[in-house]
Amino acid sequence: MAVEISGLRIAIGGRDIVHGVDLSIGDGERVGLIGSSGSGKSMIARAMLGLLPVQAEASGSIRLDGTQVVGAPDRALADLRGRYTGMVFQNPAATLNPVLTVGRQVALPLRLHYDLSRAERAERVAAMLERVGLPADVASKYPHELSGGQRQRVGIAAALVTSPRLIVADEPTTALDSITQRQIVDLLVSLVDDAGASMLFITHDFSVLARATTRCAVLDAGRIVETGATADLLEHPADARTARLVDAARALALRPGGGDDGGSGGGDTAGDAAVEEKDMA
Amino acid sequence: MMARFGAIVSSLWRRAGGRFSLVVLGLWVLVSLVSLVWTPQPLWRTDGYDVWAAPSAEHWLGTDGTGADIVSWLMAGSRTDLLIVILTVLFAGALGLLLIAAMTARNSVLANTSVVAVDALISVPTILIALILAVPLGASVAVIVVACGFGYGLNLARVARPQALLVARSAYVESAVSNGASGVRVLFGHIVPNILPVLLVQLSLSAGTAVLAESGLTYLGVGVPSGTPSWGHSLATTVRFITVYPLTVLWPGLVVTVVVVALNLFGDALRDAVDPVGNPALRRVAVEETEA
Repeated sequence: MAVEISGLRIAIGGRDIVHGVDLSIGDGERVGLIGSSGSGKSMIARAMLGLLPVQAEASGSIRLDGTQVVGAPDRALADLRGRYTGMVFQNPAATLNPVLTVGRQVALPLRLHYDLSRAERAERVAAMLERVGLPADVASKYPHELSGGQRQRVGIAAALVTSPRLIVADEPTTALDSITQRQIVDLLVSLVDDAGASMLFITHDFSVLARATTRCAVLDAGRIVETGATADLLEHPADARTARLVDAARALALRPGGGDDGGSGGGDTAGDAAVEEKDMA
Repeated sequence: MMARFGAIVSSLWRRAGGRFSLVVLGLWVLVSLVSLVWTPQPLWRTDGYDVWAAPSAEHWLGTDGTGADIVSWLMAGSRTDLLIVILTVLFAGALGLLLIAAMTARNSVLANTSVVAVDALISVPTILIALILAVPLGASVAVIVVACGFGYGLNLARVARPQALLVARSAYVESAVSNGASGVRVLFGHIVPNILPVLLVQLSLSAGTAVLAESGLTYLGVGVPSGTPSWGHSLATTVRFITVYPLTVLWPGLVVTVVVVALNLFGDALRDAVDPVGNPALRRVAVEETEA
């Protein structure tokens, strides 16, 4: 699904959070959006699915395969969400309902958008759980019985079970440990590529971004300061604010000059070290 | 669905409080049904020469001041009280959920208005509402049901609101909405299952209080109309003679007490039994459903 964002402004309580952002995602492309906390990344992600808080006012244009999202009625958006778009959230412990089994939660988008029999639904849920690398008996478990990484796999399964055309991943690895981060990113990338879907991957961590995306945009205080191929931005950040983010990622890598190599294998240890030091809050 | 129901009932049965309440509530329903076709004595047979009689083979619990058979009237009264409790709980539950939906709405005007409205209305005593309603409706079951349902519905909404609000603003509800869930689905699929413990305990307390309110309001003359059998009616007609014929007051008083205790214990036991995470029996049902 191609996404065309132009002149997107988001204001909360009269104060601008996002100032005229332009961003495009091609069909089947994985694009990253990186920025420090409070730069407006999540707001842009929510605006794409019409999920902004009620106090927020959005203007400008967001088109998903030509369909305007900004100002669209809630009913039209509800039909879009879950069927053509899927969202993976930051904190897998909080995004699963504690009193519903994993199977029911993964089945929710199917239940909402497709008229399937119980058996068909259970079959698709089981197949999806297998694809995200979870054992079949997880379907009858409750979220508290799973580890953080397993929960995020459930979150990914729920987001992808309807084979949506666009995945919005809002810091999906932030709450995970370094080894799990890598597994989750690799899983997400392979599933998205298999499905031929597009993905917007949001993070504040360059080392994760390099694995997940080919192109990225750097957001600072609600403005996009730089766009380009992820590898290029890592090597030669043109903007001072991009350089600061890259330096921060490198400084945390514990190994002088260490970073990530864009996912081709050699720089994995450095990349992992970078995320190990991160604030898990 | 049936497996789930069976698991809940057997979990209730394993708890002492649950077993007691199941027996009492089961007897209540049974006696109500039996009273439709049979009572030990015909309801309207009175004997002026046999008033305030002590318990005997003919009158198991004695007779009241009109010579009517107490046990027959208590049996017939059980169905009136059952009807009142069911209707009150349904009304309170429906009103409570409606208010919870309004109070947790994304629309802040609606949410704030409903919170203020609930806080203001909750200060009106149930008795006052009943007295006001009795003006147009007269003494009737409807007065009790509406007054109690209104009062308990407000109370339910207020007690459940903090937890409902936590759920409504939770990440998993946001996730459900991002999958296309509507407001109604969020309410019944996410908010209700998560606040179910509060709902069950509050509604069972309401059921118990409704039985007490029926007695109180009937005593005041705005509850069940005279001539309709109810436990409150049995109490109201005998309570003035408590110092003279204490037994005639004891029986309806005992019935009301046992039933109210059973309803409260039922709520507690049910809360534990329906907990999908904490109850291992439901856990097994979930596993079987997944494997089937």
